[in-house]
Amino acid sequence: MKKQLTTGMIGIIVSFIVGIIIMALQGYNPFLSYFQLFNYSLFSKFALFTTLNKAAPLILTGLSAAIAFGSGLVNLGQPGQFLIGAMSVTVAGLYIDLPAPIMIPLLILIALIAGALYAGIAAFLKIRFKMDEFITTLMLNFLAQFFTLYLISKPLLDKKMFSPMTPMINKGGWFPQFSGLNSSFFLAVIGLIVMYIIWQYTKVGYEWNIMGQNSLFAKVGGCDNDKNFLRVMLISGALAGLAGATMVLGGMQHRFVKGIGASYAWDGVMIAIVANNGILGTGLYALFFAMLQTGAMGMELETAVPSEFVLVLQAFTVLFVVASRESAHILFNKISVFIKLRGVKKGRENDGVSN
Amino acid sequence: MELVIELLRSTILAATPVLLASLGGTYTFYSNVFNIAMEGMMLIGAFMAVLGSFLFNSWSMGLLFGLAGGLLAAIIFIIFAVYLKTDEFVTGIAINMLALGGTTYLLRQIFHVKGAFISSKIVPIPSWNIPILNNIPVIGKIFSGYPFIVYIAILIAFLVQFHIYKTRFGLRLRATGEDDNTVDSVGVSSNKIKSISILLSGLLCGFAGVFLSLGYVTLFAENMSNGRGWIALSVIILTQGKPLGLLLMAILFGFFEGLGLTLQGTVIPSQFTQMVPYLATLGALYFYSREKKVVKETVDLEIIKV
Repeated sequence: MKKQLTTGMIGIIVSFIVGIIIMALQGYNPFLSYFQLFNYSLFSKFALFTTLNKAAPLILTGLSAAIAFGSGLVNLGQPGQFLIGAMSVTVAGLYIDLPAPIMIPLLILIALIAGALYAGIAAFLKIRFKMDEFITTLMLNFLAQFFTLYLISKPLLDKKMFSPMTPMINKGGWFPQFSGLNSSFFLAVIGLIVMYIIWQYTKVGYEWNIMGQNSLFAKVGGCDNDKNFLRVMLISGALAGLAGATMVLGGMQHRFVKGIGASYAWDGVMIAIVANNGILGTGLYALFFAMLQTGAMGMELETAVPSEFVLVLQAFTVLFVVASRESAHILFNKISVFIKLRGVKKGRENDGVSN
Repeated sequence: MELVIELLRSTILAATPVLLASLGGTYTFYSNVFNIAMEGMMLIGAFMAVLGSFLFNSWSMGLLFGLAGGLLAAIIFIIFAVYLKTDEFVTGIAINMLALGGTTYLLRQIFHVKGAFISSKIVPIPSWNIPILNNIPVIGKIFSGYPFIVYIAILIAFLVQFHIYKTRFGLRLRATGEDDNTVDSVGVSSNKIKSISILLSGLLCGFAGVFLSLGYVTLFAENMSNGRGWIALSVIILTQGKPLGLLLMAILFGFFEGLGLTLQGTVIPSQFTQMVPYLATLGALYFYSREKKVVKETVDLEIIKV
């Protein structure tokens, strides 16, 4: 854990240095820009709450990817599952009108089921026909994208609006806000805790972990890999679907807008990768990415560095964190080999003396 | 008749970027580098092509810039995946995100627009009329008058076939894919072979990008590669990287995309016609998997164990 933190910090620092170079080359003031980046994401109550609100979907999509990757599944279908989750609560929210205490749990349940079912398609294709989930989940993303686009531009279109979007969902489905902090953040934290407990302390969690390390070993050890595959896929989909739902239920819009949550799902994949599929690490990096994305707006406002710059910074962070982890690993191995070798040499010399 | 000709023309146009990208990816397929960065390489190529063409008002500079863009992405891939031993899957995802973020950023930074950049100053790739074919009524209409990259792409398919199967480099490439330690043990650097394969795939994906932004259309739009890199990857897996198989498969996918385009404006909503190529990929994967019964792990997909 400590080693992970160190290599993570090294990676982040290197990527920030690369960011400084890029900004300096384009004639911006990098230090002021970074200061504003933090200033607008951490140093006031409003900024901090905005960051936490942004972190909610990132934590959930990150968890979705981490659970899948950690179990050795290549679920890259988060974008599709995200959209289907968001769409399902929109449809439900438009046609169901109940008081909030009943409606919100109902909508959350609907999002979980919808996301799980959409991921379930890929799981079914894999288990029944041996179709690789890597390709099928990707293709299902595009299908979800076009399907939801169709729904919001034809049957569910809000005709009063100028771009494709649905009308607002009924008020009973809106997440409560606490002076700017949306309850979707708490939902994400609950998700994080639940997944941590499952992953760390339960038998199935252990089985998934083993399946991720070595699926053959898991099989020989008596785990039902197909069943575990299905379970992980469904949970992964459910989490991504829930992330999508927070975009509609939480936030300000309360409707399905074209391009909703544009990059949250892919960000989740990156977050899981930098966190090395660790559950807590996913939470931490989700907060970090949320901070970058929130601060970007302030940075643009104050120093005219386009907010898209953080997209570049994020990608570099992923590369450098993972690269420094791998390099550290190799370096560590080399050092331990060196120490062992020295021990062997010493042993020989000692033998020589005794003879 | 007009409709059929239109369908065939859009088939060939839509097949070209997928063909070029998959030809690029086939090099890394044979060297056993898990390259999922084709999407990003294409996008960078497409952006750079528009940039070069716009700045110098010449399509040849656009072409050069586009190829350089593909190579640049390949170099980043090599630095991380081959020399810093970062996981290939991770590197690929990161490069895709870098391409998406970077081109969006530069689009705003250089051209000061969001979404798409259209300008009359972007010079497209010239189209070629094939001398004799051109005069034959129907066939001329089907096979003549494309941006010249289309013809070069088909030529490249045959060249790649030759390069991989009939040359010394091809042999070493395939050997690296089989077992890189063996290649190292006979004194050939497998890292070097891998790097070359990644460079070649970057080059060809850049070429595909040039075709997208200067041939297929004349503009740059955010995320304009739109999943073609992923389709190229599935094409490679489905054909086991056989270059001439790729040619046929790419034409098949081009047909489905063309079909989607041709069906637009009929009663079927355009969003559904746009789904056609992705559905076709799923369909092809179904038949492929059924035939194999048990999928042989062509690409090492259990990579996320880091």
